[in-house]
This record gives sequence, C-alpha cells and structure tokens, in this order.
Amino acid sequence: MAQEEKIDQIGLLEEEELAAFIDHACELEHPREMVIDVLRAIQKNHGWVPDEGVELTATILGITPIEVEEVATFYDKIFRRQVGRFPIHICDSICCWSNGGEELAEQFQKTLGITFGETTKDGLFTLLPSCCLGVCGQAPAVMIHQKLYGPLQLDDVDELINRLRREASA
Amino acid sequence: MPTLTIDNQQVTVTDGSTVLDAAEQLGIIIPHFCYHKALGPVGSCRMCAVTVHEGTFKGLKMSCLVKAEEGMVVTTDDQQSVEFRARVGEWLMLNHPHDCPVCDEGGECQLQEMTIASGHGIRRYGGKKRTHNNQQLGSFVAQEMNRCIQCYRCVRTYKDYCGGSDFGVMGSRNRVFFGRYKEGPLESDFSGNIIDACPTGVFTDKTYRFKSRYWDLQEAPSVCPHCSLGCATIPGGRYGELQRVRSGVNEKVNGFFICDRGRFGSSYVNHPDRRRQVRSDGQPLTVGDGLSKLDAQARELIEEHGPEAVLLLGSNRASLETNWLLQRWAAELGCRAPLLSAHLQRHQAAQVAAFDLSDRLASLEKVRQSDLVVLFGVDPLAEAPMLAVALRQAARNGALIMVYDPRPIELPCEVDHQPTSPAQLLAMLVSDCEPEIVRIREMLSEAEMPVLVAGGDLLGAEGLLRVKQLAVEQSNEKRPCLIHPILGGPNSFGSAVLSLPEQDDLLTRLESGRTKMLICVETDPLLEAPEGERFGTALSHVDNLVVFDYLPTPLSVHANLFIPSTAPAESAGSFINNEGRQQLFAPVTNPRLPIAETGAGNHPPREFLSTAPGSDPQPAWQLLQQLLGDMGDLETVRQQMATAVPRLVDFTNLQPGGVCCRVTDADERSLYAGDLPEQPEGSLQLVVTPARYGSDLPSRFSAKLTPRFAPAVLQMNPKDAAALKLAAGSKVSLDTEVGSFNLILNCNKDVAAGCALVENGAAFPHLVPGGLPSFCQVSAGVRDD
Amino acid sequence: MSTPQLLFKNRRPGETVFIDGYKATGGYQGLEMALKDSSPEEIREQVKESGLRGRGGAGFPTGFKWNFFPSGAPGPKYLVCNCDEMEPGTYKDGVLLAADPHQLVEGMILSAFALQTDVGYIFIRYAYEQQADYLRKAIAEAKAAGYIGKNILGSGFDFELHVHGSAGRYILGEETALLNGLEGIRPNPRLKPPFPATRGLFGRPTTVNNVETIANIPHIITGGALWFRDLALTPGSSGTKLYGLSGHFNVTECFELPVGIPLREIVENYGGGIRGGRKFKACLPGGASTPYLTAEHMDVALDFDSLEKVDSRYGTAGVTAFDDQTCMVAATFNLINFFARESCGWCSPCRDGLVMVRWLLETIDNGQGTPEHLEMLKDQLKNIAGNSFCALAEGAMGPLAGLLNHFEQEIVDHIETGKCPFRK
Ligand SMILES: Cc1cc2nc3c(=O)[nH]c(=O)nc-3n(C[C@H](O)[C@H](O)[C@H](O)COP(=O)(O)O)c2cc1C
Ligand code: SF4
Ligand code: SF4
Ligand code: SF4
Ligand code: FES
Ligand code: FES
Repeated sequence: MAQEEKIDQIGLLEEEELAAFIDHACELEHPREMVIDVLRAIQKNHGWVPDEGVELTATILGITPIEVEEVATFYDKIFRRQVGRFPIHICDSICCWSNGGEELAEQFQKTLGITFGETTKDGLFTLLPSCCLGVCGQAPAVMIHQKLYGPLQLDDVDELINRLRREASA
Repeated sequence: MPTLTIDNQQVTVTDGSTVLDAAEQLGIIIPHFCYHKALGPVGSCRMCAVTVHEGTFKGLKMSCLVKAEEGMVVTTDDQQSVEFRARVGEWLMLNHPHDCPVCDEGGECQLQEMTIASGHGIRRYGGKKRTHNNQQLGSFVAQEMNRCIQCYRCVRTYKDYCGGSDFGVMGSRNRVFFGRYKEGPLESDFSGNIIDACPTGVFTDKTYRFKSRYWDLQEAPSVCPHCSLGCATIPGGRYGELQRVRSGVNEKVNGFFICDRGRFGSSYVNHPDRRRQVRSDGQPLTVGDGLSKLDAQARELIEEHGPEAVLLLGSNRASLETNWLLQRWAAELGCRAPLLSAHLQRHQAAQVAAFDLSDRLASLEKVRQSDLVVLFGVDPLAEAPMLAVALRQAARNGALIMVYDPRPIELPCEVDHQPTSPAQLLAMLVSDCEPEIVRIREMLSEAEMPVLVAGGDLLGAEGLLRVKQLAVEQSNEKRPCLIHPILGGPNSFGSAVLSLPEQDDLLTRLESGRTKMLICVETDPLLEAPEGERFGTALSHVDNLVVFDYLPTPLSVHANLFIPSTAPAESAGSFINNEGRQQLFAPVTNPRLPIAETGAGNHPPREFLSTAPGSDPQPAWQLLQQLLGDMGDLETVRQQMATAVPRLVDFTNLQPGGVCCRVTDADERSLYAGDLPEQPEGSLQLVVTPARYGSDLPSRFSAKLTPRFAPAVLQMNPKDAAALKLAAGSKVSLDTEVGSFNLILNCNKDVAAGCALVENGAAFPHLVPGGLPSFCQVSAGVRDD
Repeated sequence: MSTPQLLFKNRRPGETVFIDGYKATGGYQGLEMALKDSSPEEIREQVKESGLRGRGGAGFPTGFKWNFFPSGAPGPKYLVCNCDEMEPGTYKDGVLLAADPHQLVEGMILSAFALQTDVGYIFIRYAYEQQADYLRKAIAEAKAAGYIGKNILGSGFDFELHVHGSAGRYILGEETALLNGLEGIRPNPRLKPPFPATRGLFGRPTTVNNVETIANIPHIITGGALWFRDLALTPGSSGTKLYGLSGHFNVTECFELPVGIPLREIVENYGGGIRGGRKFKACLPGGASTPYLTAEHMDVALDFDSLEKVDSRYGTAGVTAFDDQTCMVAATFNLINFFARESCGWCSPCRDGLVMVRWLLETIDNGQGTPEHLEMLKDQLKNIAGNSFCALAEGAMGPLAGLLNHFEQEIVDHIETGKCPFRK
C-alpha cells in the first residue's frame, strides 16, 4: 500500500479504486484497454484530468504518459483542462438545432454570463458545445455529469442552474 | 511478376509492388506524402490518387495502397486524378502559413514540390486557419507546428520505426499535434530522423537553423565516421563550414535513417581549435615544406638508425587509401611495415572479422530480416546505434532478440537480456552444458534466418572465433548462421584487410627505445589506445613526433611536426564497414576556415587573398602521394590498391551513395586463439564501454553533441556493491591496471554480477574500450593521486 | 398498434425490464432452445435465411458477414457490440437498452455461440451511462442465472461479456476505430484489409455488430427465419426496425415498425404531422449521414433498396423532419459542422476537406456567397465523396448531396439576395 500511495500523490483515486485498477491491470493481457476507465474514474473524482492523472494512469497501466495523452486528448469528454464543477454540454447537433438549440445555448450564456469554453467565476459551471447526446427525441437537450436533460424550454434554464447551485452549496 | 500499363507505358514489377512503385519504375513520380519507403503505406494523405481502368477495384484509387496486378490499366494524368490531387493539395494548404520565405525547409520541401505537382496554385479558402503553440524539443530539433500537413510520418518514424517513447500525436480532427507529452528534449537516440521524415518545415535541424538555403548547400553522399556500421549519410556544408548531416539511403546498411550521433556529431569539422596549418615546432610552414622536411628527416633517421627508427601508425579513422599508401611509403622508405592501429586488441578482433568470419558476414539488412538475433557482448546504443533500430525491425516482424552482455542493455524493442560477465560470455561460448548456451543452440537450430551479433570490443579476437564456431555448428544446408560483428571504428575492417598477419604492439615498439620518429596518421593513441598513459610515457623515447590529423587532438599539440589533413566530409575516400562493405565517400566542402568564423560573427573581413584562409589541409592520401613523389590521382591510387589487394572490390564498380559491395572472402587467420588472463582473487571484471555520445573522437570534438554527453559514473550490480559495503551515489575509487580513478557509484541490477562498468567518453577518457580482459578493485572513498 | 413488437415488446414508458420481466414474456427461450438443439452452423444459417441486414447504418447482411467469420479458428475470438450511437438523429439503441437490456444480453450470448467467440464487449457511448448501468445489472443477472460464464446451460460453451464505456467521439462508431478504442490506443480507423474477421480486436478474429442487429437474433431463433422475413412490407426486406423520430414532428418518439413502411405513414401517423401546423419540407431518413428526402418522396418505402433508388440511404432509420421554415443551407451547415468536428484527423478529405465545405456553407449562409462558391461546393462534393479513408466523410457528403440535388435553388437565393431568405 505504501507504494501505491506514492503513485497517486494527490489522491486522484479512492484507495480501493486504485488497488482494484492495479489488480485488474495485472490480470489483463492488455492492460491498456483500461485507459478510458481509469481516466474516467479520475475525472469523476477530480472533475478533470490533471497532468498527475495522465501520469498516474500511465503508471497503473505500465505505459508512458504520452501514450495516455494520445488517447486522452482524442476524446472530448475527457477534460485535460480544469472545468467547473458542473460542465454543461449543450447539444448543437441537428435535432436540437432544429428545436431551438441555439436559443437555448444563448440562454445559458446569458444566465451564466459566460461563453462557450468559459467557467463561471465561482468555479461551478463550464459551458461546452457537444455533438448529439443521443436523446434527439427530447430536443433540445443538455448533459451534466452523464445526466441528460431535455426537452429544455428557455424558462427551464434558470431553474436548472439554481437547482445545481443549491446542490453545490448543500 | 505482373505486367501493367500506366499512362500507356508497360512495366513489369515484382510481386507485391504497389502501383506507386510501378509508376516510379517508369519514372512517373506520383505525388505522395504519407507513403514512405521505410514506413510503408497508410493511406491517410490521399495525394497519390490515380485512376484504375482495368483491375479488381476500378475508379479513383490510392496508388500507394493498390497492388499491381497483371493486365491492370492505370492512368495518373487523367482529369479525374489530376483534379482530385489538386483538391488534396488545396486541403493540405488550408492551414499552411505563408512561411516559405522564412522556413528552413524551403527548397527541399516536399510540400512545395507536391503542391506544385498537384496543380494547386491559388488559395480559395478564406476561413480561419488553425494554429498551434510550439514546443521546445531540445537542442537538436526545432518545431513549427503550424506548417504541419498531418501526414503522420514523424510519429511513424519516431515511435513506430525507431521505437522512441516520448513522442506522439495528440488531439484530433484538424487540430492534431505532433510532439511530446510535455516540453523538453527529445529522448530518443534517433530523434533527428523526424527532420528527414517530415515533408514540411515542422521539424527542422535546429543546429542548422538559418544557416543555408538548400540550393546554396553543397551536399555529397558520404559514410558516417562515428561507428563501424558505416551508415549512408549526406553531409551538407557551405563556405567551409560543415553545417549538417542528413540520412543517406543504403538498403543493405542503415536503410533510410541514421542515429543522432551520426547526424549531430559533425561539428568536429568546424572545431574552433582545429589546426589548419603545418607547424614545425610551433612555426608555420607551407604544406610542401612540411612534407619535404618530414621526408628528409625520416630518410635520415632510417639511414642512421635502421628500419626501426621510423614507425608509421595508421588507424581505423583513416581511409583505406591512406592506410594503403602508408604501407607503400614505409616500403619506399625502407622502414618496417606500419601498424594500422594503435589499439592492438581491437585490431586483432577486426582481423578475425575480416578474415576468419569473411564467409559468413551478415549485413544490417540481414539483421532486420532475421527471425532470431543473438547478441554476444554488444550494447547497440553504445557501439552501433543503428543496429538497435535494425533489431527493432526484426522484432516488429516477430523475431526474438536475445542479448548476453554485462551492461544494462536498453533497446527500442522487446529483448531477452541476460546480464553476463565477459568471462562468463567467453566460457559459455565453448561450453556444452551451460544452460543458456544449450537454450541458444536449441533456438538457433529452429530459426530460419539466425544472425549472431558479436561485439569485438568485449569478446576480443578469441571470443569472435568462439562465436564463429557456434555459427559454423549452427549452419546447415538449408541456411547459414551468419555473424554481424561490431568493430571499433569506421574503417576497422579496412585496416584489418590491409594488415599483415604478424603484428607487434605499438607500446612494445616504442618502449624498446629504437623508435626515433613516430608518425601518427589520423589517430591519437593517448585517447584511442587502451593504455594512453603508458603511451604518453613511452613517447619520451621518441625524438620526433609527427601527427597528421583533422581533429584538435592532444597528441597534435605535442607534435614536433603537425600536418593538417581533411575530415571525411572534405575528401574522397573509402571505408570498409563492420560487415566488409567497401564504401566510398565524396567530398562535400573544401577545407577552409568557415566564413562564419573569419568574421567572428560580424561581416567577413575584406582582405583579398588568392587562397581561402585555412585551406591548407589536404586529404591524407594526397599528402602521402606527395611523399611518395607519385602524381597519380585518386583513381590511379585505387586501381593500384585493388590490384595489390585482390580482396578489394574493383573501385570502378562502386560509387559514393551506392549500395556498394562486400570485399571477397579470405582464408582464416586464426592467429589469436590464446590463453586468457586469470581473474585475481577478490577482483571485479572491468568493463569499459563507449558512451553513447563522445566516445569516438569525431563525436567527442562535436560541440553539437555536448548536450548528450553523460557524466562519468561507475556502475555495479547492487549485490556486488552491498558485498563491498558501497552505497549507491557515493564516491568510490576504481583501481585498475592502468591507474586509479575517483567516480560516483551507480547501482543497476542489470549490470552483470562481478563487473565494474565505466563509460569512455568526454567525461572519462582514461579507459578505452576493447582491451584485453582486465580486472579491478572498487573501494569506498576518494583516493589522492 | 398492428406491427408485432419484438424488440419493444417489454417497453413501458419510464420503466426498465430486468430478468424476471424479460423471462415472463419468453426471454432466454431462444438461448435455451439453441444451446440444446442447434449447432452454431445452424444458427448462422438461420440468420442468413432471415435476411437480417445490419442495423448500424451500412445494412450489410448479417448472415453473410457471419459466414466469413473463422469460427473454427483456434485461440481467442471476439464479438463486439457497437453501441456508440452518436450519429445525430439516431437514438434507437439507447431507447432499446433503457427499456429492455436483456434483449441485447441474450442476443450477445446467442451470437457468440453462433460465432464461437469466447469474449464479448459491449462498447457504449459516454452519454449512455444509464444504459451501461442497466446492462451491467442485466449481465450480472444473466451470470447468476447461468447464461453467462463457463459451460453455459451444460452446452460446453463458455462466454464472458464486458461493458466498455467510451468518452465521446462519433468516429468510435466506425468498427475499426472502435476496436482501437477498445484496445486503448488512438481510435483512428484501421486500414482494410485485413478485415476484423481476420485481424480484429488485439489482432484476433472479431465481429462487430450493432445493438439492434444483435437484439434481433433471439427473435429469429424463436420465430424462425421466414416469419422474420415476412415482418417486412417490401420484397427483399426483412424484420421490423426501430424508427427514432426527431426534428419538427409533433411526436418525436421511437417506434418499432416494419421495414419498408412508407415515409408518409411515418410523417402522418407516427410523427403526427409537422409541428405548428407547418408543412413537411424534408427529412433525413436515417440519420445525419443520409441524403434528404423531400415532400415528393412521401410514398417511398423506407428500406435499404428503395431508398438507394432515390439516392438516399436507410441508414439507422432515425428520421429527422424539417418544416417549411427551415433553411436547408443552415441545416446542412449544422450537419457538416458536426462531421468536421468529429473527424478523427487521419485523412485529408475529411480533416481538411470538410473544413473547406463548412466554410463554403457558412459563407453562403451568411449571404456572402458567390456563384463560384456554389461551384466549389459541387466540386468538393465530387472529390470528397468516395475518396476518404473511412465512411465518416462519405457520410458527411450525404446531406451535402441532398442539398445540391433538391435545394440548389435555395443556395442560389442566398447568393442572389445576399442574405438568408429564412432569417427574419
Ligand atoms: C463514422 C461512422 C460511425 C458509425 N457509427 C455507428 C454506430 O454508432 N453504431 C453502429 O452500430 N454502427 C456504426 N457504424 C457502422 C459500423 O462501422 C459497422 O458497420 C456496424 O457496427 C456493423 O454492425 P451491423 O452490421 O450490425 O450494422 C458507423 C460507421 C461509421 C463510418
Ligand atoms: S509534423 Fe511533419 S511529419 Fe509530422 S505529421 Fe506534420 S507534416 Fe507530417
Ligand atoms: S549507427 Fe554508427 S554509422 Fe550509423 S549513423 Fe550512427 S554512428 Fe553513424
Ligand atoms: S474520413 Fe478520414 S479523417 Fe474522417 S474520420 Fe474517417 S479516417 Fe478519420
Ligand atoms: S441532436 Fe441533440 S441529442 Fe441528438
Ligand atoms: S501516399 Fe498514398 S494515401 Fe498518402
């Protein structure tokens, strides 16, 4: 355990989680297949994947940081830069677009006072454009922490944001 | 062997050739980016499109991916193909900055050429371009990512082909980025290859930045002088300055790439301390006067003191022509035959390679094609870097790589390394029951194309003969078991081919006191012979020391008469590489003081001279011709030499930059099967290995390489260190037969037990690789000398 | 509802059926029957007979593909289920898994038996974490019931099934990119040949199939190949299909309907007409990569062959409708933007060509287009279509082809008036 504590210096993974990943990596013939699992777990705990997370993943899987980075930077749902506590993915694909997705996105920007790619000063919200979220029948839709919301009316935005704010301060 | 028609011309190609290859055979160069002969096709750039009219798959196809078929009909110049390639040109130029005027690639840029070839000429896209931030990648390679056209050649070269682990491709869509995880020097010993592989100005040679335009650069095919492999290189220079080296192509040797030592180890040619004038006891002389003086003195001494009075010393840095003319001159003077190496053991090992192994030598290409390579006493990255890349290609095709060596071997591929001390190595090779050799024999007998790689430095002549025994035993009617020997220098094999069987030792000769004049041609035994210090002492017996060299060696400072010779890149000549390939090099620049230096960074001085400053150095062979009073040019010398030494390949069949040929087989010499020294009780085996950078003298004098020079350390197995109560990181004293040295101890479990390992290089020049097996003591603390 | 419900038979709004509910309506009977009475060859033969075509978009005949598979080859072999489902307008697999995950689990076991693969992966997109959880639970249940593991139901057949989550990117739906994604390396598509059946996951024989394709297998086994064929309305088609409706329909839900149903029925009966009483202008018949259909195609049957005849594609049967107020230039710009952004970055026509197309559409949409821009657009279509490394850029050309085929006048209007005719 002492050694494992060393590899995860800033506590990106729960102790059991880390141990389970290490065990699993030892069992697998191709530990590399776990790279997204580990990155997602780090992101779940930490909100995003800092350099230490890339390096930790590399250590667990016995590969180099660049090999992790090559994969991590490919996927748009792995954050290699800090995001707010609630990254809001606003669908901008065709079905949401045809159902007022652009107006919804504007509403979010107005309510939060930020544009896409920015994070609110309180560190709570980041707005990100996203491709189709797979709920095209409920357009327009957004996703926050793998939870889908839709169809959203413009009036729903304030309420949603307030609810998340309450959740954050609870 | 399908025959197909391309643009109305018929061509027959070997099975498995692509349409792109077939077209090239007809002289039709189809524009392409992602395809590279060494890297293979990946089909990403789509530039190589042609139209297939008859064939299994018809229509617009990528010629790098489509295999040539019998009866196929292809056009490259039809409207569809031409238009499509123009679109590809347009797409690739979408983000390209208008950088050509300030881009180092300009003039040798595949993007410039292919864009014109594609027919794209006018920018129509008016949207935003994607831009990147660049990374600092160390002192060798500059990066300008905005110029990238995403052909993926860099990452395929660095990572896939050469096995580098700190470079990759990040991001996606039109924002892919090629670089390191974090900024910092590229770690691979083959990093410079991305400069050659990148078809644009993203990766350029930082050491050559803004020095020359390609069209102003003088280039010529050459042979790398930094190790015995003899990779094909193309040095480039201008105004007397050797500015860069890029990889040449020799499919039998290096293939398409070279190592960083070969690429960035060239600045010795422009070393600021290089002596460019004849000096006799400190006084400048003309070349003619210097040579006359030398000739007169030598003759006088021989007359007075007999044939032993003058001793000529050739070397493995000197060309074949130089070494041979040295022999002729000795005959002409009437002194004893020259020694062609200051390093007896290395020379003997080279002779075993040149004679005893000559009928079973494997090229580096054979290594790449092998399915089982066993290395005995070789550390590729230290002794023959491109061997490591060759091994990787074998491994990528499924070969097993086994290494028996005392050093902690790092290779860019999977390797089965058994740390083995030199004594164990020599013993196992002749053992019937040692488990490892039993295992090796078993595997060899099953291999289809086995190659044994044998390190001359560690095994010595005796060890190489033992490897030969194994190879003979493992050869059968179906296939031979070949040997790829690793030798001490670029022309070790060549000087061995020329050498006479009976050899005595430089030191014995000097210490006998009978040598009055020593003439060293392109060698400094102080640095290149195993007992440099003893040599220094023995020099006191010599009244007259003459040095021919292009390096500012310590010996040339001591010389009574110094005669400047030219570096390989400044002269024509030939070397024979480790597997007996007789290779020619052509002159790139004329020897002269680089303009950059004469002006001291300012404008060059406006003095009007009839000759360029510093242009006295001449090729050593040419100097020797003058001493011989022979007016024959290089061709004549070569003709005479090939007649005198029938093993050599007729030079008229060779050309610089070609594949070249191996010298013919020779009878065995089997001179050196002798007793090996006993290991004294309580001692460790001393292993001296070349540092990866700065062990061979040209690279030691190359300022560009200094960032890669490693500090001096002593490495031991942690168990041995513990037994001697030595702590890793502490200062220790290494006591050897030639002296005591204070070093920092590193523990590494991959060092064979019972060994003490030091690297010869700029930081530690005192011990030289390739001596007789020798022993040492290591103890704690610092010893005062 | 007259269409027999196979895949949606257990579907109740807001509910998820697990093993008890699934078995109550005949779940796992197909598996039990097959393992007892059939050989793998027989199942493959039945699937071939059924005429089932892949539901992932390309419509490749499943039985045909399975017969290429070296099921007798020694060593590990893999079955991979493609639940990436990231093509805009496509959400059927998500609905199916949210309602009835065992459909897929049973299908996977049966397919694995037919192909003699020992390990299965369900590759599922990031946004379907809910469905991934349901699948994990269903797999655990199936394991406990002895349907997964060693010597399943005494047949001697072993099978392990894993769920593998992604992290967002449309290209992962392309089967060879998916395999790279599963291996944990960069998910660029692979050069073919070799095809996955020869060298797939970790270099081993692999079959990749869509969720819906695999979920159909138990029904083919229990109902029979002929019955399955007869479910379709058009000759040469077979089975039912999940149609996910979206866009400007009044009803934007997912329905299980026969293959070959005419567009009119979708628009009028199931979609409930167009929102706000507007007129139907166009639709994407099978996801973002399929060329538009227009009002003149109302009577075209929705199946693979009929749609090909009108220069469109059946795709995934996710039907996205556009009303008569929609600017088709803007809609196409939106679609191209998706493809350009989702390009993996491997080949030039896609990585850079789509950026060029996007810029052209943007320029025209902004009213700054010229007749040359229209010509360039046509020229880009001609040169990108069919010439990219994988089908992503090919798919992107679907809506562009539709735009140029059916709505060129709209482009001309933009150019001539210097503004978008639909923008207020
Ligand atoms: C860019 C792209 C995205 C794709 N996305 C999916 C997908 O999300 N789901 C899917 O089943 N097939 C997708 N496919 C098709 C797959 O490559 C493959 O053909 C399919 O999974 C095979 O399964 P099937 O024969 O059962 O349809 C996609 C293809 C491409 C080119
Ligand atoms: S950096 Fe050079 S070699 Fe690498 S992808 Fe870009 S253009 Fe090609
Ligand atoms: S491997 Fe040897 S010969 Fe080849 S480039 Fe490197 S140093 Fe030169
Ligand atoms: S078409 Fe080319 S760039 Fe686009 S996703 Fe496929 S391989 Fe990648
Ligand atoms: S288009 Fe927005 S969820 Fe599919
Ligand atoms: S050279 Fe053929 S696709 Fe790039």
